[in-house]
Amino acid sequence: MNVIEVEAVSKAFRIPSVHRNTVREHVLGVLEPRRFEQLQVLDRVSFSVAPGEALGIMGRNGGGKSTLLKIVCSVYQPDSGRVVRRAAITPILELGLGWNPELDAIDNVCLFGSVMGLTLREIRQRMDRILEFAELERFANLKLKHYSSGMSSRLGYAVAFEAARDVLVLDEIFAVGDAGFRAKCEERFRSLHAAGHTVVLVSHDPRSVGEFCDRALLLEGGRIAMDGRAKDVSQEYLSLLNRTPEAAVHA
Amino acid sequence: MRASRGTKRSLVGAVTTGAESINPAAFGRDARAGLLWTLVRTDFKVRYHGTAGGFVWALLKPLTMFVMLMAVFSFVFGSDPNYKLDLIIGLFLWDFFAEGTKAGLTSLHSRGFLLSKARCPAWILVVTSISNAVITLVVFIGIMLAFLIWAGHPPSPASVGLFLIYCFALMLIVIGFSLATSVLFLRYRDLNQVWDLVTQVGFFVAPIIYPIGILPERFHFYLYLWAPTPVIQFARSVLVDGAAPTLTAHVYLAAAVGSSIAIGVWLYRKLGPRAAEYL
Repeated sequence: MNVIEVEAVSKAFRIPSVHRNTVREHVLGVLEPRRFEQLQVLDRVSFSVAPGEALGIMGRNGGGKSTLLKIVCSVYQPDSGRVVRRAAITPILELGLGWNPELDAIDNVCLFGSVMGLTLREIRQRMDRILEFAELERFANLKLKHYSSGMSSRLGYAVAFEAARDVLVLDEIFAVGDAGFRAKCEERFRSLHAAGHTVVLVSHDPRSVGEFCDRALLLEGGRIAMDGRAKDVSQEYLSLLNRTPEAAVHA
Repeated sequence: MRASRGTKRSLVGAVTTGAESINPAAFGRDARAGLLWTLVRTDFKVRYHGTAGGFVWALLKPLTMFVMLMAVFSFVFGSDPNYKLDLIIGLFLWDFFAEGTKAGLTSLHSRGFLLSKARCPAWILVVTSISNAVITLVVFIGIMLAFLIWAGHPPSPASVGLFLIYCFALMLIVIGFSLATSVLFLRYRDLNQVWDLVTQVGFFVAPIIYPIGILPERFHFYLYLWAPTPVIQFARSVLVDGAAPTLTAHVYLAAAVGSSIAIGVWLYRKLGPRAAEYL
């Protein structure tokens, strides 16, 4: 049985002719009705993910990838359609979410780990492993504001991988870190996949999708333009980049 | 096809998609408790730099206010021997109400990144936002009781028990308010300025610096419509006068708490699931 089933999911955002974000603007504009434009970001998108499968999602900017990912993770609600989840999902949409520069690495691991759904006991048990993976044992008590961006990213990866549940949903997270650490992360990613974790990966990088995913979707104009082997979809994505958006939708 | 607007929603926000969605517990009870504790602990650490000295600054504002108001108004209300006791109770409870509602109102916005990029229960962000105000209140309760004993008005254990219940009632009112305004603030970004104005007026509507008895009795009903008023008056009644308010008065307070929580939860459940789209 599939762990994720997305059935005819649609999502549109209403774009007003005039933005009103305050009480004052609403009161003053009460006699001036606004016009709304519908921006259809996803249009009846359906797909499923099998247990242990690694699914890549590719597409141009504005193609609806991030919105789809947020709907799969319950961050956004669809306007119509439904999403069935039969396993616990760990969304990693941004590394080091909630980092506080005024706290040291240990407190930040607690913070990020808690946000990712780890219990305090799990965090305590895994703290040494997290710091070791991030190669930051010596700087555990240093405030994060003194860390380089690379050090913060390493810590973010380390916690995220420890928090992985049945299904991992990743948004462009292989784009940071030096070559050595990136290889280490890719190795960890492979071992998680080999251990049976299901993965949904959004990426612009054809190499990442082709190498790490079994299957991929190509999103264009809010619809699935292609659903197939990851390598084939990566190729199609590359050729899509050379086409105009209109031509791609009608292809 | 089914529109999601009619879907089943929960306060903890576990189900946010279609009506037939299945969402295995991504955030178990232990994980929720861990997140709650971590947010309270780290927020306290950041705000007060992890030192007791830093925390003293949080106490200085209402303490200074108390000293100044007592110095000035003791002359005006000098005939009331309990004026300073009423003032300290009113001021400290008001400080909790003002600080708690202020923090609760902006709670989802200030931690918006957790709403738009993570799947943690958003209500925890709202509830933990008032933790610093709660910690300050706990310290103030100690100061208040010490002051009462020093002034020759040691409250009985039963009075202290009732007083703690009133403090808890005020906390529930603040949580109800925060649940409602935290989601409204994402749509109306000047709501904090509106609330600043309301609290400025509310400070004088609640009988904090004056005894409620100086106003004609026909106005008392309107003063009691302002949520902090019954809590402050009931607290004074049990701690200073040693007299418990009537059963009707308690029913009124329970209704105020119940309606605050009901409105807060209703608005939060209605607007909360789409809160991330307004960030």
